[in-house]
Amino acid sequence: MNDFDLDRKLKAARVPARDEDYWESFPRLVLAKLRTAPVESSFERHWWPRLAWGGSIAFACLLVGFAIGHWHGRMEKNDSFVLLQNRKMLREVLTLFPNRVRAIVQDKHGLQLVLSDQPDVPASTPLWVKICDGKQCASLVTFSGQELEIAGQKVTVLADAQGGIILEGSRFVWSSTAQNFAQGGLKIEAKRLPSISL
Amino acid sequence: MGDTDEEKVWVLQSRNGDPAAFESLVRAHQRMIHSLTFRMTGSLADAEDLAQETFIRAYRQLDSYQGTAKFSSWLYRIAVNTCLNWRKREMRREQAHTHWAASGAARRTEANSPADNDELSQCVQAALMKLPPKQRAAIVLTVYDGHHHAEAARLLGCSETTVSWRVFAGRRKLKRLLNVKGGRNE
Repeated sequence: MNDFDLDRKLKAARVPARDEDYWESFPRLVLAKLRTAPVESSFERHWWPRLAWGGSIAFACLLVGFAIGHWHGRMEKNDSFVLLQNRKMLREVLTLFPNRVRAIVQDKHGLQLVLSDQPDVPASTPLWVKICDGKQCASLVTFSGQELEIAGQKVTVLADAQGGIILEGSRFVWSSTAQNFAQGGLKIEAKRLPSISL
Repeated sequence: MGDTDEEKVWVLQSRNGDPAAFESLVRAHQRMIHSLTFRMTGSLADAEDLAQETFIRAYRQLDSYQGTAKFSSWLYRIAVNTCLNWRKREMRREQAHTHWAASGAARRTEANSPADNDELSQCVQAALMKLPPKQRAAIVLTVYDGHHHAEAARLLGCSETTVSWRVFAGRRKLKRLLNVKGGRNE
């Protein structure tokens, strides 16, 4: 069965008809309910799902953090470059949080997963970025269009159509293809990683 | 349905507490909302409950309607969310559909049966009910109500990619379910 046949079959399924009396009385029924139904407090309506959702996200982050940490500890070569470019790890994290992973960051605090509240991170080629400011370094895998806090400043990571990567911070702009941008005393490396298919 | 001047007046009057104006809004959109809630629930009784709930929520949230989107789109979004939040009754309905699938098409005489005298409608609705709610919503919005994936994404509050994936996965499952049922029934 192709999509056309499926759509034809789906559309052939009718919604059961109701008689005109029903349509005549329904609006009045709604108004009657409006007069009698108690007003639901928005706090009561919203706090429990939010708490449950927040708790689930926090628990999942803990699990992922623990798994990554455990895995990290077992790796012979304890190198952020190798770890963050591990396709298996990336795939698992992206599968666990579809369209929510904004970045996986490794800095002096260890590995952190930066998640979006909404599943609004479009699937795209992962980008690996390393920034050192002389005192500390941060490596991360992220996606084009993400604004992140790296090495103490807000940085927007962008991929251009020519395969280059552009980093735009409050005090610098850097491009992997044109090195004459101001780097603000930062040492920056960036490259595209192979696409991850989920 | 575009917002007519008359409809804008009804919205304003409803905000000011005029029940007749809100009744006119309900009258104008009740069939669209019932159709959506039936596709999402597979039950006339539950569809009616959810349609009522949608209009009641809409009335209470009228102050948040900015008028930038069409009133019908705003209302439709409330209905979709109401359906997606429908949990307990959905479980009950899924059990009923499982029972129906196991016992063949012998439920046509039941008073609340979703599509009396129409086995195809019943099969399709039963297959729809086997989809996860978000996949079902994506199919209903795009196939039945003709929304583009971008519009469906706005209504569902997710990305276009997510809608495309849900439609793809939903279609795949529906093809499998309806092929099996078609093989039995044809």
